[in-house]
Amino acid sequence: MDAQNSMLTAQGIALSFGGIKVLQGLDVEFRAGEVTGLIGPNGAGKTSLFNCLTGAYRPQGGSISFDGRPLDGLSPAARASRGVVRSFQTVALCPELTVVENVMMGLARNYHSGWLSAFLPLARGRREDREMREAAISALASLGLADAADLLPSQLPPGMQRLVEIARAIVGKPSVLLLDEPAAGLNNAETRDLTQTLRNIASPDLVMVIVEHDMDLVMSICDRIYVINFGEVVTCGPPQAVRTNEDVIAIYLGSEDD
Amino acid sequence: MSDSILTMRQERSSLDLRKMVASERIVAGAIIPVLILLPLFVAGSWTYALGVCFANSIGVLAVSALVRYGGEVSIGHSFFAAVGAYSVAILETRAGLPLSISLPVALVAGVLCGIAFAWPSRRLSGIYLAVSTMALALAMPEIIVNADTWTGGFEGLYVSKPLIPGIGIELQRYYVPLVALAVVVYCLSRLRQSRQGRALLLARSHPAAADAFGTRRAWARVSIMGISGGIAAISGAMLAFASSAVSPTVYTFWSSIFLLVGSVVSFYGLTLPRALIGGAFLTLVPQVLSGSGAWIPVLYGLVMLVVILAGHYGPQLSSILFRRGEKR
Ligand SMILES: Nc1ncnc2c1ncn2[C@@H]1O[C@H](COP(=O)(O)OP(=O)(O)OP(=O)(O)O)[C@@H](O)[C@H]1O
Ligand SMILES: [Mg+2]
Repeated sequence: MDAQNSMLTAQGIALSFGGIKVLQGLDVEFRAGEVTGLIGPNGAGKTSLFNCLTGAYRPQGGSISFDGRPLDGLSPAARASRGVVRSFQTVALCPELTVVENVMMGLARNYHSGWLSAFLPLARGRREDREMREAAISALASLGLADAADLLPSQLPPGMQRLVEIARAIVGKPSVLLLDEPAAGLNNAETRDLTQTLRNIASPDLVMVIVEHDMDLVMSICDRIYVINFGEVVTCGPPQAVRTNEDVIAIYLGSEDD
Repeated sequence: MSDSILTMRQERSSLDLRKMVASERIVAGAIIPVLILLPLFVAGSWTYALGVCFANSIGVLAVSALVRYGGEVSIGHSFFAAVGAYSVAILETRAGLPLSISLPVALVAGVLCGIAFAWPSRRLSGIYLAVSTMALALAMPEIIVNADTWTGGFEGLYVSKPLIPGIGIELQRYYVPLVALAVVVYCLSRLRQSRQGRALLLARSHPAAADAFGTRRAWARVSIMGISGGIAAISGAMLAFASSAVSPTVYTFWSSIFLLVGSVVSFYGLTLPRALIGGAFLTLVPQVLSGSGAWIPVLYGLVMLVVILAGHYGPQLSSILFRRGEKR
């Protein structure tokens, strides 16, 4: 697996719900070592594209592949074990699990102790648990959340819950990281911290895609930006080019929320 | 600013949580020695009833585990209990095997039945799943009566072999279910700390998130039904052992309803005190109802209502009182 070849591609993705066309033959290409932004107005189909990439939705047309191997037909779980992970736009942490336990779930796919160690304190299960906990705590620490480890998610403000989601996504050393609006609910200072953190997470063999409405964050962190609208790619290019693109300006001036 | 809010919230709710966990621990710690010594002080009819109560408590735990880890409700758990009970009874009458062999068999049979039920119904949830579990409970008495060469039909079978030869069977009918109950509670507390337990909880609250991190929904459903079916089978086996008999009237649709009621009044708790509350409800009800003045079912309903309301509003009430006390 050559790091330079690592690439998540989706070609001709078509998705519709009962006649409503959400994605209309979308072509995208996300490269390892790059941070790719995915922007567009509300309802453009950004989250839907993530859902197709992770296998939560089955698009009616098109194909998705990673590293040259097709992902179509694989379950979300199978894609997760290929290293494709995500965070959710609406926080999806288990309210009954502590923060660190939630993050440990991002590692579960790498561990295989049997049912017996779920009910009895056997050596293997305990060792695995310790490893998971340590990794989860260091993931939390890298996001400045070490103090929150033993709290319940509901004890954290929404912005921090989102960071916990990111911790869960990165703890398993993914090869594709899809972040759905990571900065939503964060204040300016927190967004600045997050920007720095995301820069640290970026690495030559990680495909990183960020859906975000905060343009400062997107423009400052992304190497390349896709703009989509009505389920189609409007344009794609480096931040500078996208910022001055007339179609993009038209879309954003035309929509009330920016 | 968000920092101070965070620490405040953190202090208050972790205080509440710790308080609750601590108080249940204390209760459990106090109950265990009492239960161990109790047969020295009370009459045989009491130890008999308590043995049955422990067995029922395990059945309540089976339903509560399904609710807590699967997010589903069953009104058919008497089916799995019957599987366990008849495993024990048939192995004793047919093959002369004692509980030490028939209990593991019952457990495996319960787990397999749970899995066999869960796989075809894995896409059902809520009311649809509940109704399909009901079908199990309705079918069981018919199955038992029709297979009378094995099950003894209406009359049922006797279970009289002691687990440990040489010790009085009366005492064993008390202590064996008690130990089984303690073991089940312990295993369930371990489950909460395990990878599988966490995966089940995430799959219950956010199936899409669980999916995205490698926990398939079908796995979650089949696993929790297997666990729950296994626990219910242990409860049935213990009920057979504690009451020394099995018969189809013990495993009807109504027994399933009572198991669910027991689980509700114990607030789906998986601790020893909670399980005992549920089990006590289950054990006392049929006895009280059989002495039935016409008012008894109404009183039963009222008691149930009070318990549920108290549990629902109790924490709010105590926090209001607590705040008043603070102000003064
Ligand atoms: N499961 C679904 N069933 C029906 N329609 C859906 C479903 N999922 C998405 N859609 C529709 O697809 C369209 C695109 O939604 P999507 O969530 O992908 O937008 P988005 O770009 O993420 O928007 P936002 O910025 O608001 O998050 C919307 O019109 C939405 O109603
Ligand atoms: Mg979205």
